[in-house]
Amino acid sequence: MIVAERKPFDEIKGMVAGYKKVLTIGCGTCVAVCLAGGSKEVETLNAELKLNFGRDKIEFGSKTLERQCDMEFLEELDEIAGDYDAFVSMACGAGIQFLAERFPDKPVFPAVDTSFIGVNLDVGWYEEKCRACGSCVLGLTGGICPVTMCAKSLFNGPCGGTNNGSCEINKDQPCAWFKIYERLAAQGRLDQIKEISPPNDWRNQIPRKIIQPGYEERVKALG
Amino acid sequence: MISEGKIAEKSMDMIEININKDVLVVGAGFAGLDSAAKIAAQGYKVVFACKDAELPDSGDEFKKFVESGMVEIMTNTSLDDFSGVTGDFRATLAKGNERIKKNFGAVVAAPKYSFEPLNADYGVSLNGKVISQTRMEEILADPEEKEKLKAGDGAVFAFFNGLARELDPCSTERALRSILALQDIENCTAYMYAGNVKVASRGVERLFTEARNKGLVCFKPQEIPVVEQNDDYVKIIIQDPVIRKDIELDPDYLVIDELMNPGQENIETAVNLRIDADLDGFLPSNNVHRFPVNSNRDGIFVAYSPNDAANVALRVKELLGDGIKKVPMDRGVVDEKRCTICLTCYRCCPHGAIFWDNGAAVISTVACQGCGICASECPMDAIQIGTFSDDDLNENIDKAVVSAENDSPKILAFCCKNSAFEAAGAAEKFGIAMPAGFKMIKVPCAGKVDVELVMRALVDGADGVMVAACHEGNCKAEKGNIYAKWRVNEISRRLEAMGMDKNKVIFTNIASNMAHEFADKVNDFALKLKS
Repeated sequence: MIVAERKPFDEIKGMVAGYKKVLTIGCGTCVAVCLAGGSKEVETLNAELKLNFGRDKIEFGSKTLERQCDMEFLEELDEIAGDYDAFVSMACGAGIQFLAERFPDKPVFPAVDTSFIGVNLDVGWYEEKCRACGSCVLGLTGGICPVTMCAKSLFNGPCGGTNNGSCEINKDQPCAWFKIYERLAAQGRLDQIKEISPPNDWRNQIPRKIIQPGYEERVKALG
Repeated sequence: MISEGKIAEKSMDMIEININKDVLVVGAGFAGLDSAAKIAAQGYKVVFACKDAELPDSGDEFKKFVESGMVEIMTNTSLDDFSGVTGDFRATLAKGNERIKKNFGAVVAAPKYSFEPLNADYGVSLNGKVISQTRMEEILADPEEKEKLKAGDGAVFAFFNGLARELDPCSTERALRSILALQDIENCTAYMYAGNVKVASRGVERLFTEARNKGLVCFKPQEIPVVEQNDDYVKIIIQDPVIRKDIELDPDYLVIDELMNPGQENIETAVNLRIDADLDGFLPSNNVHRFPVNSNRDGIFVAYSPNDAANVALRVKELLGDGIKKVPMDRGVVDEKRCTICLTCYRCCPHGAIFWDNGAAVISTVACQGCGICASECPMDAIQIGTFSDDDLNENIDKAVVSAENDSPKILAFCCKNSAFEAAGAAEKFGIAMPAGFKMIKVPCAGKVDVELVMRALVDGADGVMVAACHEGNCKAEKGNIYAKWRVNEISRRLEAMGMDKNKVIFTNIASNMAHEFADKVNDFALKLKS
């Protein structure tokens, strides 16, 4: 899931100051799961804003959508959008942009910082696992991502900074390639560690697009 | 004062449901067999599953139930998978490669703990002369070895008990039972070197008095005794602080006390059953609101001591009855459309009453205790607690703050119905003066008070908000008070970040009998808010 973190209050306050009617919009998927932008966080943020600005200065509305990364769900805002002169979105960066795209004349402000793609270790505790590099090597690396876990994102073995299983940047950070070595050795497929992965084509210089196989014609028809 | 701010609890609609009446006893602790027999005697079918290949001697009553089919024995069997809730547990039992699925209404864990001799505490090693408490018990159980003790001048035994660390009454009891058995053998004498003789368990004080009357000599040395040892000699030296002399004893045997160890198997059982262990790793976790055999999950019991079997049988009967149970319909209700199955409720529920099915969280009406921790943690506000719904609470907060409009400071206290609410009621009866602007909101547990509710009170215009919970370790919902404390701290941080007074919101622990203390805390809070 995408993990996000609530922005400091001052930053949000600064963005909405000066508007009269503001709608805070939550997202019911990833950011709700990581306890950053679901309906509870929307209500709490609005309460903080009301407390700060006083009840009369700015009017704050609230709405939480199923997902802000789907137009069909954003459509739910069409009717009420006109009542507000600014939006605060608690969705990830993708949702915020899609929201801004649907309502191009409306100022849209982020209330969360989108942090990473990660896993849920426990309530409120998350760890980054994937950098969305676009060429997955997990099959060769025993299911441990060297792009995320290695400080240098090395694709082919550790650097000279590996230090008794730790990374040179921080003793508490395990060396990704040490972990990969251990995992592959335990599974009896250490020979795979010698396989060379070609350099990644860092395609994320421009926005990437994916059309799932079987949908090319549908997309083409849409123009 | 109370009448205005409190919620009138609505009557809860009840429904009758059928529950499974079979019982699983898992683990080979000695109280397990006894529990199985006593539960079967109440007319419930029992499956007794343990990892061991053979059962210890189980007594005639137990055998009778096995023959009649009321107790089914599964040896070499472990609990492979476990789900469901009270009245409807689903267990997968693993016997070799075989996986057997069975459903149960109740489960009894009968843990077996191991013992670890504490010789390292005293810098001695075990040999023929320095023996562990377990070895002592083996000697006493073997007629031949016991006979040998009578030979010659007899045998002198010295027992070390809790000298280097605090032990427990179980350890004292074991030593005393061995001492009493030795005192019955001709020519045997016993000495005990103890730190604090722990007698706070049934009958242990009596055992201690009996042993002393029969000639047990006790020392309470101020320092750990010096022990000299070789293969056929052991000597204990302590200093008597009164006569300022060394007291030496060279017994035939030095018996070393043992520490009870929860062991990996019990930790696995606890994880499988999703029940909490206590601070030392033993089952179940302690909670004064529960019977000692009840775990934090309804329908899962723990039998360890000999007294537990009868108690477990009583509790099982109380739970299963005739297989029909009346439960409130809406104790905790999930709005499936809002639920995003983030698993927060499942992870936070202290009673293991939540699971998920068909893309949404499900709260078991039977297992739910209505504390509301889940509702407060839910990021989508998808859970409502029957008589304490968000709408009701919000309405009450608004009303309470409005009703205090002309008073200053306006204080709103969220009070746990089990403690602070009672204390406040008592304070009113005693006629203790409270600030004019003090209003209360009754909550099922402080764990139901979330950031949103407190912030609402502040937005409404409350000058101060108090969250009053039971003392730590005394929460009916195990951790509701801890969640409440975390949340209040979080609100304080948020207020501070907004440039507001972080002390507008306070957390406090109150017991139901602390009427005066509660009033003092509220009055102090009012004074602080005024200044």
